[in-house]
Amino acid sequence: MTRRPQSSPAWAVGLAGLALLAMQGMAGAETLLRTRLNADIRSTDPGTNRDANTDGVIAHIVEGLVAFRDDTSIGPMLAESWTVSNEGKTYTFHLRQGVKFHNGATMTADDVLWSLKRWLDPATQWRCLSEFSASGIARIEKTEAPDPQTVAITLDQPTALFLPTLARPDCGQTAIIHRDSIGPDGKWIAPVGTGPFKLGEWKRGQYVDVLRFDGYASRAEPRTGYSGAKIVKVDRVRFNVIPDSSAAKAGLLSGALDVIMSLSIPDLEELKSRSDVQLSITPALGLTGILFQTRDPLLKDVRIRRAIALSIDTAQIVDAVMQGTARPNNSALPLGSPFHSEAQSHGYVQNMAEAKKLLVEAGYRGQPIKMITNKRYSFVFDSAVLVQAMAQAVGINIELEVLDWAAQLDRYNRGDYQAMAFVYSARLDPSLSFEMLAGPKATQPRKVWDNPEAQEMLRKSMMIDDTAKRQALFDEMHRRFIADVPMIVLFNGAELTALHKNIKGYAGWLYPQPRFWGVTVE
Amino acid sequence: MRMRANTAIGGALMALLLGTAAAAVFWTPFDPLRINLRARLQPPSSLYWLGTDEFGRDVLSRVMVGAGTSVVIALLTVLLAVAAGTVIGCTAGYVRGWTDRIIMAVNDALLAFPGILLALAVMIVVGANKFGLILALGLAYTPSVVRVVRGTVLSIREKEYIEASRVIGNSEIYSMIRHVLPNAMAPVAVLATSMFGWVLLAESALSFLGLGVPPPAPTWGNMLAASRPFMETATWLSIAPGLCIALTLLGVNLLGDSLRDRLDPRMAHG
Amino acid sequence: MLGYLARRLAMTIPTLLLVAISVFALVRLIPGDPVQVMLGDSADPVQAMQLRAELGLDQPIPLQFMHWIAKLATGDFGHSITNNLAVLPLILDRFQISAIIVLVAVAAAACIAVPAGLIAAWKQNSLLDLSVVGGATLLLSIPSFWLGLLLLLLFGLKLKWLPVVGYVPFSENFWQATTFILLPIATLTMVEIGVLTRMARAASIEVLRLEYVTHARAKGVPEWLVLGRHVLPNAFAPTWTLIGLVLGHLLGGIAVIETVFTLPGLGRLLVDSIFARDYPVVQGCLLFTAMIYVVVNLIVDLCYPLFDPRVTVA
Repeated sequence: MTRRPQSSPAWAVGLAGLALLAMQGMAGAETLLRTRLNADIRSTDPGTNRDANTDGVIAHIVEGLVAFRDDTSIGPMLAESWTVSNEGKTYTFHLRQGVKFHNGATMTADDVLWSLKRWLDPATQWRCLSEFSASGIARIEKTEAPDPQTVAITLDQPTALFLPTLARPDCGQTAIIHRDSIGPDGKWIAPVGTGPFKLGEWKRGQYVDVLRFDGYASRAEPRTGYSGAKIVKVDRVRFNVIPDSSAAKAGLLSGALDVIMSLSIPDLEELKSRSDVQLSITPALGLTGILFQTRDPLLKDVRIRRAIALSIDTAQIVDAVMQGTARPNNSALPLGSPFHSEAQSHGYVQNMAEAKKLLVEAGYRGQPIKMITNKRYSFVFDSAVLVQAMAQAVGINIELEVLDWAAQLDRYNRGDYQAMAFVYSARLDPSLSFEMLAGPKATQPRKVWDNPEAQEMLRKSMMIDDTAKRQALFDEMHRRFIADVPMIVLFNGAELTALHKNIKGYAGWLYPQPRFWGVTVE
Repeated sequence: MRMRANTAIGGALMALLLGTAAAAVFWTPFDPLRINLRARLQPPSSLYWLGTDEFGRDVLSRVMVGAGTSVVIALLTVLLAVAAGTVIGCTAGYVRGWTDRIIMAVNDALLAFPGILLALAVMIVVGANKFGLILALGLAYTPSVVRVVRGTVLSIREKEYIEASRVIGNSEIYSMIRHVLPNAMAPVAVLATSMFGWVLLAESALSFLGLGVPPPAPTWGNMLAASRPFMETATWLSIAPGLCIALTLLGVNLLGDSLRDRLDPRMAHG
Repeated sequence: MLGYLARRLAMTIPTLLLVAISVFALVRLIPGDPVQVMLGDSADPVQAMQLRAELGLDQPIPLQFMHWIAKLATGDFGHSITNNLAVLPLILDRFQISAIIVLVAVAAAACIAVPAGLIAAWKQNSLLDLSVVGGATLLLSIPSFWLGLLLLLLFGLKLKWLPVVGYVPFSENFWQATTFILLPIATLTMVEIGVLTRMARAASIEVLRLEYVTHARAKGVPEWLVLGRHVLPNAFAPTWTLIGLVLGHLLGGIAVIETVFTLPGLGRLLVDSIFARDYPVVQGCLLFTAMIYVVVNLIVDLCYPLFDPRVTVA
C-alpha cells in the first residue's frame, strides 16, 4: 500500500490560499502584472501633458497609423499600407479593417481625420505640433478621406521625417482616438483608443491600471517595437508609483513587484546573484558624452579638444562605468540604429604621444578646464571622473564642477560652459540624432556643433527619403564630426530591467519603454 | 578627574586628527586621486590597508587627505560664523532699539530655516565647491553665535564697570571692545567647539544629499555618500570615513567639555 | 494667558513673512527652472515658453509672489509642478511620517536621558557618572546617518531581521509599518539620548546644589523623594527647552535619515523638490517647517510654568 504524502493541515492551506489571493489582488484569479513608475503620470491625454512615464503607460492604450519597429524603422500599425506620391508630398494610408475602439466602435477614416484635427489644434498643446509649423519638418496642407478606409495627408514639402514623427511615442504616436474621449464640453475625459489595453483605475500618486481589451484585433506579424502583434496574456497591469529606486528594488526582491526598469549599474551587480530574478539588458538609444564649448577662448582650438579625445581610452571608460552592458561608440548615431554603418565605427583611438604633441602645438600651458557633471546619473558622473583622470596623464588639467541636474540643464541650454559630461535622451531617427547636436549657436546656444556645411547636409538628410542617399550623408557628417571634435561621444547606454523569474515573454528594445503585451505571469 | 580624562582623550584624538591632516600634505601611502581600474573594490589587505573604492583609489590615502579638507572647511566655517556673529550680535546687543529688533527678526527667520536645507539652497546658487560650502554653512550657523553674543552683551552692558567706563568718557565702541567682548568670548568659545562638530557633520550630510566638495577631492562626507551603493558588496567603504567622523567629533566634544569646565568651574565639582 | 498667547502669535507673523519672502526669492535665485527639468534636453523653445506661461512663471516675480500669498491666505498652498498634486495635503501626508519618527524618538530619548542625567548628576564624578557622560558624548559624536547605515547593515542585510528599504503606511498594515520605522527611530533615539543626557545632567547638577535641596535633605526627606519631587521637575526645564530646539531642527534635518532609510518623509520631499525646482512644493515645505518651529517653541515656552512655578508666562 502506497503511503499518501503528508498533507498540510487545512488551515495552512487556507492561509496559503489567502496569501496567494492577496498577492494577486482582488477580483478572483485575475492575472496581475505589477510594475513601477518613478513618478505619477501627468495625464491620460496622449502626447500633450506628458513625460517619459506617461508615454510608457499611454503606449499600451493607444495606437497611431504607423509605429516603430525594434530597429527603429517604421512599420504599419493602424494603417495596413501607404503610398507616397506627388513628389513625396502626399501620403495615402490604407487603413486596417475591423479595428475596434475600446468603446466597441469600429475605426474609420473619419476617426483618423477627427484625431488629426485635434492634434493640430493649438488648444490641444500636442507636443509635435511645432514639427508641422514653419520651424518644423513640413506643414500639413490638407487631410482628406476619399473613402472610409483611406486617409490622404498632403505636406507642403517632402521630408524623410514625416512617418517617424507620426510614430513618436513622446507625441502619443499621433494616436487615433474616438471622439468619446472628449466630453460634450470639449474637456478631456479618458483615452478611448485602439490599443491592446484600456485605461483602468488611476489613483493619483499611487498607481495607474491598464486592463486587457478583449476586442483587440492583433496584427499578424511578430511583435517588433511598438508594431507587430500585441497579444495580451495578463488581465491587468498595475503601474505603481514608487519614486525611490531602492524601494522599488526591495519591492521586486520581496515579491511585491514583478518588473522594474531603469536599474543602475550597482543594482545590476547585486541582482545578478539572485536566483529568483532575471535580467533584461538591451542597448539603449541615449547618448553619453563630453561636450565642449567651441566658442570658449581656450577650447576653441581644435587641437586641445582633439588632445583630450586622444588621451582617453573610451573602451576602458565604458567597461568600468557600464560594467559590460554597453559598448564604446564615438558616433552621434546610436549603435542600434540601422544607419550605424561601418563608416560610423571609426572614432578616436587612444594615442598619448599624439595628444601631447597637439598640446605643445597649441601652446597649452596647463590652464584649468572646467568640466560640469552631475550626481543624478551615476554613469555620467563616473565617466567625468575617469575622463579627468585620463586627461591628467597627458598634462591636461580638468577641474570637475558638480551641479545638480536642473542647474546643469540650465547651463547646457545657454551654452554656458567650457566642457560638460552630459547625457541625451533617445532619438529615434538618425537625422534627429545629429539635429540634437548640430545647429547655429547664434540662435540655438545649446547646440554643440556649429558647422554650416554639416547643417546643410543635415537639412538634406531630413528631406530626402532615400535610404542610400541618407546613409551617404550621415557617413560624411560623421567624418566631419570626428575631425571637428565638438564633443566626444562615449557610449549609448543600456536599458537594465529586472523581472521576477516567473515572468515570461518580456523583451526590452532600443526605446527605453516597456511592452507588456506578449508577457505572461506563470 | 573628569576634566583630566576629557582633556586627555579629547586632546589625543585631536592630535591624531591634526597630525594625520598635516602628514597627509607630505605623504600618503598612495596617490589619493590615482585611478586604478584593475584594483576596484578591493577589501582591506596588506597592500591597501583600508581597501580600495569603486575607482581603485586607496581608501587610507583618501581618508588622510579627507581629514585635512574636512578640518580646513570646518575651521574656516566656524571662523566665519564667529566673526560675523560676534559683529552682528554686539551691534544688536549694544545699540538696541530698532536695529536690534530688525536684526533679531532676521536672525530668528534664519534660525527657523532648517540649517542643512538653507545650506543646500545657498550651495546650489553659489556653486558646489569649498568656497560655497563655507559660505553656506557659515550662513547657517551665524545666527546661533549672534544669539549667544547678544545675550552676553545685554547682560554685561548694564554692569557697573561699563557705566564707569562711559562716565570716564570712553567711546561706546571702546567700551564694547575692551569690556564687553572679552566676556562674551567665553560662551562663544564653547559654542565654537560644538559648532566645529556640527559643521563637520553638516558637510558630510550635504555630500550625502548630493552636494558637497566636488570630486575627485575626497572628504569624509563624500566618501561616505559614495559608499552607499556598495554597502553590501564593499562594506569597508562605509566604515572608514564614518569612523573618522565619529572619532573626530568625540575628540572635539571632549575638548569642548574640558573647555567649558575650565571656564565654568562650578560644573566640574559637585 | 490668552493675551500672552495672542501677542506671541502676533509676533511670529513678521518672522513668518520674512521667511516667506526669503524662501520665494531664494528658490528663484537657484539656476535652472522646473520647465527645463520637465522638458529635458530636447527642450523646444516654443514649448518651453508655453509651459512657462501655463505655470504662471512668465509673470514678474512680485506678481507671482502676490498670487502665492493671496492663495496662502485662503489655505491653498498651490499645486506641485511635477505631479500636479495639491501641496498642502502632500506636505501633511509626508509630515506624518517625519513627525512620528521624530516625536517617538525624542520622547523615547527623553525617557532614558532625563533619568540617566539625573542619576549621573546625583553620583557626580563617580564611575557611573563618567560612564554615562562618556556614553552620551560618544552617542552624540556619531553622525546619525552613519549610525543609520550601520544599523541597516547589521539588522537589515546581515541579520535580515528588518526590511532594508521601503515603507508601508500605518493605515495599511500596522505591524509591517512598524518594522519599517523601527530602525530610523532607533537611530534618532540613540543620537538624541546623547544630546539630552548631557543637558539633563548639567541641569540636575545646578539644582542639586541649590539651597532648598540641601534644606530638604537636612529635614530628613528621603533621597528618592528629594530627587523625584524637587530635582527632577526643575532639571527638566532647560532640558525641555532643548527638546523644543531639537524638535524644531530635527524636522528639517531629518532629510538625511529619510534618505538612508528611503522613507517618504517631509525632509526628502523638500530635498527632492529642490532638485526638481518644484517651486510651490519647496516654498510650501519651508514655510510649513518654519511654522512648526515657531509653534513648537511656543508650546515649549508655555509649558515652562508647569516645571518651574517661579517662572511666569508673561
